[in-house]
Amino acid sequence: MGKAALVTGGSRGIGRAIAERLHSEGYDVLTCGRGRRPEDLPSAIGWAQADVSDSEQTDALAQKMLDEYGGVALLVNNAGVQVEKTVAQSSNEDWEKVIGTNCRGVFNMCRALLPSMEKNGGVIINIGSISGELSDGNMALYNASKAFVHALTRSIALDHGPNVRCNAILPGWIETEMAADAFALAEDPEAAKTDALKRHPARRFGKPEDIANAVVWLASEQAGFATGQCFRIDGGLTSASPLQPMLFS
Amino acid sequence: MSANLENKIALVTGARGGIGRAVCKRLRQEGATVFAADIDSLGSVGSGETDSAGAEKTGPAGAEEREGEFLKMDVTIEDEVVAAFDAVAQKHQRLDILVNAAGIEIEKSIEETSLEEWNKIFAVNVTGMFLACKHALPLLRKGGNPSIINFGSYDGFIADPQLAAYCATKGAVHALTRAMACDHGPEGIRVNAICPGYIDTPMLQSFFSSAGEGGDIKSLQNAVRDVHPLRRYGTPEDIASLVNFLAGDESRYASGQLWVLDGGLSAQVQQMRL
Repeated sequence: MGKAALVTGGSRGIGRAIAERLHSEGYDVLTCGRGRRPEDLPSAIGWAQADVSDSEQTDALAQKMLDEYGGVALLVNNAGVQVEKTVAQSSNEDWEKVIGTNCRGVFNMCRALLPSMEKNGGVIINIGSISGELSDGNMALYNASKAFVHALTRSIALDHGPNVRCNAILPGWIETEMAADAFALAEDPEAAKTDALKRHPARRFGKPEDIANAVVWLASEQAGFATGQCFRIDGGLTSASPLQPMLFS
Repeated sequence: MSANLENKIALVTGARGGIGRAVCKRLRQEGATVFAADIDSLGSVGSGETDSAGAEKTGPAGAEEREGEFLKMDVTIEDEVVAAFDAVAQKHQRLDILVNAAGIEIEKSIEETSLEEWNKIFAVNVTGMFLACKHALPLLRKGGNPSIINFGSYDGFIADPQLAAYCATKGAVHALTRAMACDHGPEGIRVNAICPGYIDTPMLQSFFSSAGEGGDIKSLQNAVRDVHPLRRYGTPEDIASLVNFLAGDESRYASGQLWVLDGGLSAQVQQMRL
């Protein structure tokens, strides 16, 4: 049996890419989501239906991991939701949804699995966001929830080292269904896409596989000295001025 | 409101630039005795090059824009730096405030930048700051709650295209600011940097003239303005206001920090035009 990995939010997008890549690297992977097992999920990857915002469900998920996989070498907290609103527009339900999943969900999973990881060694990788360090408009709760994830990452690294390493990956614009929808809704989708590409020094958007690559590295012994850090994987987007390409075409 | 800097002695480098002038004026209004150091009493004469702290270096300015006692100082020439601080020492035997506002900008990628240009911008923006700080320290030690204020830039955090050497010098300024704060904090000297974004100065206007050449400059200016959360450019007075705070005793526990003043520009993820 390989090393056991739990990836939250693995039904599609980034989480799915991470789960499949870890499987191909020889991990025994369990992933989860709020819905039923996706039909196209490779059969070798385990599935559990769970809502990470509910601590009873995460405790059960952690127990399943320990019982059926014999432990947990790697926890990837990827599950996340977003609500596109300002503070003034956000309802109590929005707060519960975003903070419940993005903040409490990460906390729940870490709390449930840290005792085992401290004893046997383990790696936690949280998926944060560049929006936790710089603000995206109309994404107030999401931005704040990701900043929570970044600070929690540092605290876990500090409190639970040396047996546990904990880092965060901060994706930029990753090509997912969500991003495709955003372009489709633009007044001039082609122009919007060209503009967005010009803002990326890499001249492309990210792929879920780019994030999975970083997960594999951070999970490995090659990253044995890396802990408590937030690594941006964004094609250079946040290293460039927000004024290009307007001012500098 | 009483003056914030009564009885303080201040020296400002790059004092005849757009921002330097506003800084000198404010420091004088707040009651400080101001020495205005620059390469000449009107500011340098530019040929495409400008004072990064503000002004296009052309044109005479009225006396009201040339506040403070002028001291000739090319910050890249150590003898001139030493002589300027000697002049301050002879009159006042101390210095309370040093504002390092001298700086230049080169609009090129590194491939287009000659070694001579590279050395020049580092000489002014980094070595000049080093020399001014080094020779100000003996006088600052005799000052009251002494404060050094360096000019970094938001470009020291995130890059504007075609400003590679400039961005690198500002990164160096930020690191130097923290290093000096560590070294000289124990003797009571505070060191901070102000990191301006887009400040409305003659330099910015000339920049727009070249960037928007052949197009509608006004709409370009408006579009860039509207990327700022505050929907306006900064003014030299905005910068001078922060200098006043950092120079005064109200900021007595602030040191080693990088004070970004950019109307919120760098707080945001790039706004895609969807």
